[in-house]
Amino acid sequence: MGSTLRLYLTCIRNTLDAAMCLQNFPCQEVERHNKPEVELKTSPELLLNPVLICRNEAEKCLIETSINSLRISLKVKQADELENILTKKFLRFLSMRAEAFQVLRRKPVQGYDISFLITNYHCEEMQKQKLIDFIVQFMEDIDKEISELKMSVNTRGRLVATEFLKQFI
Amino acid sequence: MACIDRASPSLKHLLLKLYRAEKSIEIDHHLYEFGSVEYHIQSKVSNPLVAYLSISIPPLCHGVLSNNLSPHTIEKVKGICPNLVEITEPTKEGYQLTLKLNLNQIPRTKDYIKVIEDISTVQSVILSSQLKEILWNVNSDDAAQGMYKPIKLVYNPREPFFVIKQELMDVGNSDKWTKAPPCTWSAIPPPELRGEAFEDLSTNGGFVSFDISSRHVEGNRLDKTVWNLLNFNAYVRYHVKSTKGFIQRRMRKRLEDLAEVLHQTNSEENEQTKEVKQHEGCRYTNKLVRSSKHTMKQRWCTLGRKIKRIHFRLKIPGFARFRQRWLRFPKFSSKKYTKLE
Repeated sequence: MGSTLRLYLTCIRNTLDAAMCLQNFPCQEVERHNKPEVELKTSPELLLNPVLICRNEAEKCLIETSINSLRISLKVKQADELENILTKKFLRFLSMRAEAFQVLRRKPVQGYDISFLITNYHCEEMQKQKLIDFIVQFMEDIDKEISELKMSVNTRGRLVATEFLKQFI
Repeated sequence: MACIDRASPSLKHLLLKLYRAEKSIEIDHHLYEFGSVEYHIQSKVSNPLVAYLSISIPPLCHGVLSNNLSPHTIEKVKGICPNLVEITEPTKEGYQLTLKLNLNQIPRTKDYIKVIEDISTVQSVILSSQLKEILWNVNSDDAAQGMYKPIKLVYNPREPFFVIKQELMDVGNSDKWTKAPPCTWSAIPPPELRGEAFEDLSTNGGFVSFDISSRHVEGNRLDKTVWNLLNFNAYVRYHVKSTKGFIQRRMRKRLEDLAEVLHQTNSEENEQTKEVKQHEGCRYTNKLVRSSKHTMKQRWCTLGRKIKRIHFRLKIPGFARFRQRWLRFPKFSSKKYTKLE
């Protein structure tokens, strides 16, 4: 399982490396405006083909690129209902505080759990390689955090139930 | 353990305050607990040794129990601390029970805390006794024919729960907890509750059923079992809330860690850029300084050579000595020291 994760992350890293070639491009329709073209999708000539990388049916990553912006959407694995609730809660928590991350989108793309929006300005302020490292590291940390949360919730529940049943003995 | 203590914490706190007060104080407090239980505690300065405690508890099961307390329940309440607690007749308006507490009967030793705690358990005593009556009053004919009707108990007005009298059976999920009542959870109402009102069965947490057998209710265990079951809902809610708080704290910590990584990357890049710029500046300055020193040296040498050339072209008698003494360029050396005489 570790090897499939490594392959999955390597594939995403290489795709991002190729896709993150962004440059400043003012809006063609409204003068003096500069908008991320991947969000508007009004000019097809400015968009590249989206790339969908699937680890399995539950985990996938969609990378949509345009001339001046890049959108990465992630679907995180959710094995059971508890993981579903924890993932939803945690990613919503992060999305609501998107300004702390700068590259995080407040609302994920439909069908996905979390989305990033990287523009040419971000690439100018930050190093491309570091940005890619951050996103890959983020994906690993999310999985780890969800697993730890699940374990701690189960442990707490077991302790609480044990304490309650002790009253009857 | 939170929510399982039989003694009301707020009532206990008030009674302790009254007992420990150095001079007599006047108290007139209304306390509300669990949405439907009301306490009224009064104490006057004119009579500091006596306090009045009134309790209002709705009946546990409407239709089976009346609003007033039964004689059996009153007997149970009298048994809490017989020399300390007296039941006052008539009761205060709006309350089922009014107790007169003789504070001078509370022992002056360390046992006073236990005594006050026993008084604070008056609500649990009333509820336990009411539940016992309900179970005794279940029609024995119905039990013989196997017709078990669910009995609706209202401990908290918004959260009714049901008692289903089942045949006694010992089912244990694990060897360690064979003594505890087996419990099951289901997302849908169990079959025994299918005929009940919709508003009583609507929930998003599912249904937990406990199988209470005879050994859980014999002797002194009955009060404890009853109290634990009555407070199960509050107990679960408390721990769900604590878990939510724990998860929130963890998420906030993780968010800070992730954001720090990103900002650290940014700041590292900024620092690298600054260092490069600074180095460039230093190099330029160094270059400038070095070049100016070199130029100065060159100029002095040129001047020296020029002066020498002047010396060789025109020979002036005595000028050599003059030149050696006055036209020599001083060498500034920090190491050498010329002593002035």
